[in-house]
Amino acid sequence: MTRFLLKRILNMIPLIVGITFISFLVMSLVPGDFLSNLRMNPSIPPAVIRQMEAQFGLDQPLMLRYAKWLWAVLHLNLGISLAYRVSVLSLIGSRALNTVILSLSSMIFAWALAIPIGVIVATRQNSIWDRVLSFLAFFGMSVPNFFFAFLLMYFALRTGWFPVGGTFSVDYASLDTMSRIADRINHLILPVIVLGTAGMASLMRLMRSQILEIKNSEFVRTARAKGLSERVVIYKHVLRNALNPFVTMAGYALADLLGGAALVEAVMNLQGLGLLLLDAVRSLDVYLVMGSVLMGTVLLLLGNLLADIALVAVDPRVDFSSMGSR
Amino acid sequence: MTIPHRRPRRLAVEGRLQAWVFIAASAALALSAGCHVDRPRGDHAHDQILYSATISDPKTFNPVLVTDAASGTVLDNLFEGLIKYDAITTLPEPDLAESWDIADGGRTITFHLRRDVKWSDGQPFTARDVVFTMHVVYDPHVANSIAPSITVDGKPIRVEAADDHTVRMILPRPFAPLLYAMGFAILPAHVLEPAYDAGRFNQLWGIDTPPAKLVGTGQFGMIRYVPSQLVDYRRNPDYWMKDTNGGPLPRLKGQTQLIVQDQNAQYLRFLSGQIDVYGPRPEEVATLEKHAAELHITVDKIGIDTGSLFFSFNRNPRHYVHNGMTDPRLTWFTDINFLRAMAHAVDKQAMINLCFQGLATPAVADISPANKVFHNPNLKDYAYDLALAAKILDAAGYRLIKPGVRGDPHGRPIVFNLTTNTGVKIRDQMCVIFQQDLAKLGIRVNYRPLEFTTLVERLDTSFDWDCVLIGFTGTIEPNNASNFLRSSGNLHIWNPAQPEPATPWEAKIDQLLDQGTMVMDPKQRAPYYWQIQQILHDQLPIIETVREQRFEAWKNSLENYHPTVWGLYKPELIEFRPE
Repeated sequence: MTRFLLKRILNMIPLIVGITFISFLVMSLVPGDFLSNLRMNPSIPPAVIRQMEAQFGLDQPLMLRYAKWLWAVLHLNLGISLAYRVSVLSLIGSRALNTVILSLSSMIFAWALAIPIGVIVATRQNSIWDRVLSFLAFFGMSVPNFFFAFLLMYFALRTGWFPVGGTFSVDYASLDTMSRIADRINHLILPVIVLGTAGMASLMRLMRSQILEIKNSEFVRTARAKGLSERVVIYKHVLRNALNPFVTMAGYALADLLGGAALVEAVMNLQGLGLLLLDAVRSLDVYLVMGSVLMGTVLLLLGNLLADIALVAVDPRVDFSSMGSR
Repeated sequence: MTIPHRRPRRLAVEGRLQAWVFIAASAALALSAGCHVDRPRGDHAHDQILYSATISDPKTFNPVLVTDAASGTVLDNLFEGLIKYDAITTLPEPDLAESWDIADGGRTITFHLRRDVKWSDGQPFTARDVVFTMHVVYDPHVANSIAPSITVDGKPIRVEAADDHTVRMILPRPFAPLLYAMGFAILPAHVLEPAYDAGRFNQLWGIDTPPAKLVGTGQFGMIRYVPSQLVDYRRNPDYWMKDTNGGPLPRLKGQTQLIVQDQNAQYLRFLSGQIDVYGPRPEEVATLEKHAAELHITVDKIGIDTGSLFFSFNRNPRHYVHNGMTDPRLTWFTDINFLRAMAHAVDKQAMINLCFQGLATPAVADISPANKVFHNPNLKDYAYDLALAAKILDAAGYRLIKPGVRGDPHGRPIVFNLTTNTGVKIRDQMCVIFQQDLAKLGIRVNYRPLEFTTLVERLDTSFDWDCVLIGFTGTIEPNNASNFLRSSGNLHIWNPAQPEPATPWEAKIDQLLDQGTMVMDPKQRAPYYWQIQQILHDQLPIIETVREQRFEAWKNSLENYHPTVWGLYKPELIEFRPE
């Protein structure tokens, strides 16, 4: 196990360098740069643009800039955002918590509903339950998130049951701790429903097909023939086997924790990383983008590793030696 | 082969699962009900706090380093310049400088500073602050957009403090734009000088600075900034301005700017009463006007857009002349007859109706009518008339070579590319309207919008474009556009950075720009800029399209709220009517 872990972690290093280098390259190959916007401003002459290029180091060759960035990263310094002139780490840090809370809640929402519903519809294949829930699932998958967000905000506006957007109320600072938590949760409900339903739909479909596939396999028939109760068959044999791909997916989901959901954030006015990073990509704020690429990469690789370890725990057919040789 | 097996006992299993789902759902409901925070809605009028929304986060709190509109909006409340302008007359008026004398034919300007101004940390405001700010702005290590506006023929202005409340500026030659340029924020020397001397100015006052450390002279002080949520301001109790009865100003106790990064969401916020003022888009104006009574709001025009949005044809030889061969497009695009025909083919009314819901006006002059002093009202628009356009083209030798295909005098079919930046629906529609009208004249236009950064690269480096629809924002001071108007300017879109003016009329514009800065009084300067607009109108390097009619909606309980396209008129008097 230790060898496996060591090997996997060592393998990550060239991957991280490779991925970040390619991202850096792609960012530089895009026509224009962070200063493009200012170049079109009649009151900023080229001399000022050149001063800024020198100040931001944009006039240096690509390899040198990448090497400098990588060197700084080794010292846990993700550089300075060009747009904000503050450190990338503090910028990401100031919004990361909200994004994690939102992603985690909607993930829990999606998973907690998708798995039981998936089981229901699979065990009652082609029943009215199956049809209705599957219809809802497809609906959830096909309605664009931002549109659903608007619908819910309109609903909130009409009923007054929920706040119309925002991460917390304007008077948040004057509330006591319990009210603060309540206020936060109150603001989280609608975005969690929006993001959760989209995730839930596909998870539920996956669960359904997994169970349907396994339900008809030979070992299930054996279990039934053995006289096990249907409950034991479904829970102990079918469900446990059906969960395999979900363990891997949970690993990938880790990478999404900090990805944010830019459109929903914009529409529902949530504080988070999604919009910040989208803006950074649009305005070619190189170091901010690189910071998020680095975070995403590390989380993805880490998630994969954790998923593999979890798989060993869940599935007796998988062990470390077999994965090491993969 | 299938082995029949007994029907699974569904009920036991699914009964449980259904119960599970039911429990989860009711827990969620209970949670949501329990979390509904019951407390009185903040009463904006009672608190005298004005709520508004802004579209994006500030990028910096350092007024010298600002290059984006959002940061500018946030800092306007906190800092002041020596001179401001009246948002209605657009003429300069005193701010931190009580008055100024112009001597020596405009080469010496003496500013008399107000004596009753205090920084928000209690220190007095003095001439030292002005000298320090100018020094920082001119520092080559502090790249900023203020320096160019106070640089005369490449030379800085000499600034000296005659005494604590008098600043003298000595210019190499008379330079009228200085009056409007002196609106930039004055910084507190006593707070920032040590860090500046240590070479840390570019890192000063980033958005991670605690708001209490931002020391200004403005009407409000920032008390809170929550990224992508809001900026909170409280009245500056020591603000120097007093009302006619000697009462304190500003009248509002505070302001809250919500950061709502989506226009539709802002609209919803206004409808729900969470913000008190809102600048509606053309498609929202009719709805708001219809429901004005029940929403207790006022919706009114605040003026014509300050910018200009135009088509321009590339007449840059660097794009068309290769190995001694000149591309025919250069000949067309420098032919005044061809350009006149193009101007008559721009269907401004269709653009107004389709893209702006009728809430726009045809643009004729390059300077917006909102710029009351410098706008030239005497120009005659090129009427939309395809028959006339065809006649002009025919007479100049651009005839139909076969049905539906127009050729140039050498019989080559006229085809060119049209572009604009992606993601702006209105520009997209305007380009398509232009493309369709030109198709009726037998001219084929290949329209392809480009990502903004790509477009900028084409306009300013590779020059690889034929025709573009592009817009610039406007300022009151017309000399701010000199980078665009001057033949040597890098934003002289149609042929940038010319070593010598390529045409006599471009030379004339250069000369008028110089003359326009020599006279100090805005009203006496105006004729020079009127003449520049006349030349642009006659020579058509740019073909004006339309300007949006801007609206603002606000709650009826607001008093003295006078929005204009240049900002609020006397914002210090705004208050909520007492109930």
